[in-house]
Amino acid sequence: MTETMAEDQARTAPITRAAAGEPLWIRLLRRWGTIAVIVLTGIGFSFASEWFFSFSNFNNILFSMIVSCLVSMGLTYVVIVGSFDLSVGLCVTTTSIICAFMVPILGPWLAILVALMFALVIGLVNGVLVTYGRLSGIVVTLGMMFVLGGINIYLTGGYQVAIGYEETAFRYIGQGQVPLFGLKVAIPVILLLIVFLAAHLLATKTKVGHYIVAVGDNPMAAFYSGIKVYHWVIVAFMLSAFIAGIGGVILTSISSSAQPVGSAGYLLEAFAAVFLGATVLGKGKPHILGTLLGVFFIYMVNSGMNMVGFPYAARQLFAGLVLILAVGANAMLNREEIHLKFI
Amino acid sequence: MTGELLVEARDIVKEFSGTMALKGVSLSFKRGEVHGLLGENGAGKSTLIKILTGVYSLTSGQILLGGEPVKISSPLDAHNMGLGAVYQDVELVSGFTVGQNVVLGNEAGGLLVNQAEDHREVQAIFDEIGIKIDISRPASTLSAAETQLVALATLFHRKYKLIVLDEPTARLSAGEVDLLFSLIHKFQAQGITIIYISHRLGEIKKICDRITILRGGLISATLEHAEITEERVTELMVDRSKKDLETYNEGHATDDVVLEVQNLSADGLAPLSFTVRAGEVLGITGPVGGGMEKIGRVLGGIIPYDGMVSLDGDVVAIDSPSRSRRAGFALVPEDRRKQALFPNLSFAENVCLPVLDSLTRFGLIRRNLEISYADSVMSRLSVQPRQPSKLIKFFSGGNQQKAVIGKWLKVEARVFIFVEPTSGVDVGAIKEIYDIILHIAAEGAAVIVISSAIQEIMSLAETVLVIHDGRAVHSAPKRECSHDQLLALSMGARSRDAA
Repeated sequence: MTETMAEDQARTAPITRAAAGEPLWIRLLRRWGTIAVIVLTGIGFSFASEWFFSFSNFNNILFSMIVSCLVSMGLTYVVIVGSFDLSVGLCVTTTSIICAFMVPILGPWLAILVALMFALVIGLVNGVLVTYGRLSGIVVTLGMMFVLGGINIYLTGGYQVAIGYEETAFRYIGQGQVPLFGLKVAIPVILLLIVFLAAHLLATKTKVGHYIVAVGDNPMAAFYSGIKVYHWVIVAFMLSAFIAGIGGVILTSISSSAQPVGSAGYLLEAFAAVFLGATVLGKGKPHILGTLLGVFFIYMVNSGMNMVGFPYAARQLFAGLVLILAVGANAMLNREEIHLKFI
Repeated sequence: MTGELLVEARDIVKEFSGTMALKGVSLSFKRGEVHGLLGENGAGKSTLIKILTGVYSLTSGQILLGGEPVKISSPLDAHNMGLGAVYQDVELVSGFTVGQNVVLGNEAGGLLVNQAEDHREVQAIFDEIGIKIDISRPASTLSAAETQLVALATLFHRKYKLIVLDEPTARLSAGEVDLLFSLIHKFQAQGITIIYISHRLGEIKKICDRITILRGGLISATLEHAEITEERVTELMVDRSKKDLETYNEGHATDDVVLEVQNLSADGLAPLSFTVRAGEVLGITGPVGGGMEKIGRVLGGIIPYDGMVSLDGDVVAIDSPSRSRRAGFALVPEDRRKQALFPNLSFAENVCLPVLDSLTRFGLIRRNLEISYADSVMSRLSVQPRQPSKLIKFFSGGNQQKAVIGKWLKVEARVFIFVEPTSGVDVGAIKEIYDIILHIAAEGAAVIVISSAIQEIMSLAETVLVIHDGRAVHSAPKRECSHDQLLALSMGARSRDAA
């Protein structure tokens, strides 16, 4: 029996060593590193520019990041489930165009419903092709990107679709403000926070999020556990498109118009935010809260550098370096035995 | 203890692209019995249970559950019918906690995940069955043995009628095996049927009410508990018909020691020493997961080791696959699909990979040289059809294995290591692969064959080493070994009887 125990100890020894033997500072850095960088950058800008640390600038940053943040949160689900969605940017513009066309015909609420339904169909098609169609997520959503781009030009002829001034109810979604604790807060910022809360709870507290994480982590184990793997992959794609669609509706209302172009920026920012967000709290995997902070960081740096007077080129350069450094530092801290994944 | 029939399989046939894994198997499992399933590698045990649990579909035949014919087309179907399994290579969701893994797919409550509730439930199960693992630990920190125990606990959480345990003790220590057995008795007391697959006869005798022995895709016999003896089981397991067809290595060893290994140890492998001479084939056997496969992984530079390895008298450090290859080792790994072949490249591209330098002109690969080289490899290894440009994934298992060996034919390796060289290879190709291996030895290389199939070791080896529970338990020239003795050793009969 003693021999057995010695053997048991020998089996578990390397594991405990890996968990407890690692220095405290590495553990702290892994967990809080990204958040520390965000806070320190914020403090730095506050010293560099007198206008940076103010409620109105905070509100501005939040306001400017709304659409990007929604797209990124949707994309987070797809990356969690282990795939890619390159069509999120175009999902925003196509939903926006459909919404803008439908508002005068159906009234604001039905128009929003139709636009969001369309977004869900995009996600459904992506999801079904990736699972039952056995196609790669990159290929399917790249194809979807071109298809939606074509639909956009076909519907609009390349011109913007304006929303009339009389659509006050619809414009209120993007342009209204409500007083909150004596401060004026934009309605879309409140909508963003509501969607964030819902998405965060869905991902962390419900079976939907739970199964999406399980499938993304180890699809084989999920399959053997009797989980409907395809089902949850499709759900992740539909969530991605749906939340991007909400972004499209809000964008239409904010700008009182729909633009057929300009989707590429959302896509690139979303990917940057998701991978930056994966390093938040040392999780190493994308999560909704991390994505929110990731988008916030990108927009905060943009705003700060703008105030300090850096040119656009420098801002782009900085954003790229931060992304590579943050994700690279995280990979160094979570070193795998053999690294053979290059996607 | 046992009652009416729970599951009945009738004339089950399973064909994998031309290879018959099961050739009409009929057997039944009673409610509340522990039914052992035995057979050598490739006898069809895994295929049979994967059909029962919906992982594979059957080519023909019928499965009856409680007398009613059923169609099990996915693990979810099996799960809903109350059929569950823990496979040998069990996997967990590494980012989830132990508790979350136990209830995965079967969580309490409606839409919301109630982690506190789930954890409480899992803690109750762990307390009841006596597993002492912190349920809030992430699954990624579990050892192999702990992973196995957690997987067993998941069975407790589900209301299964039949549970398949595939080599459940391969990764467990003796104390954990006792725990497993008490679990099995608890399942049994609840009227749950257990299908118990193992290579270890001691366990089989201890725990099983009946056993069925498979041989070459057919049922050899079903024995009651009282009939289970070592002699009878080994006799029924051995495929006598296969023996006649196979080659026998008379021995080509010279006096030159090529490989010398001293006090080699790794995680799960106690220090061991051996030498292999030029022309010698060392056969290493033992139970799957018993440590023998680690030797191949160490010499291939895949896992770290302690001890000394010398080649032709010089000490070599093999800390990566590329250094192992440069030192003169050629590893033909077990899982050729994952570890040795590029399925979407052609036969020619696969076999030419290690020798590309000799097939180039001005740094560019000459396609015609590649094809003619591949053609010569194919003719030497008698690969039919002789189509070097066809994608490797469209070749049969035997031909794929020949391609893996073909990769190393012209490489000047001193030591060839073959791990399970004929697993998944059709019978006709087995003899050809044996001839190739013996030919490589005859040309003066040192050869190590690591295989759980005793018959293979008896055919190929000149010297035999048996590894059990990470230790070398037997080492002798093959002439002094018998098939039954090796089988008993690798099933741990001797050490079990002593315990």
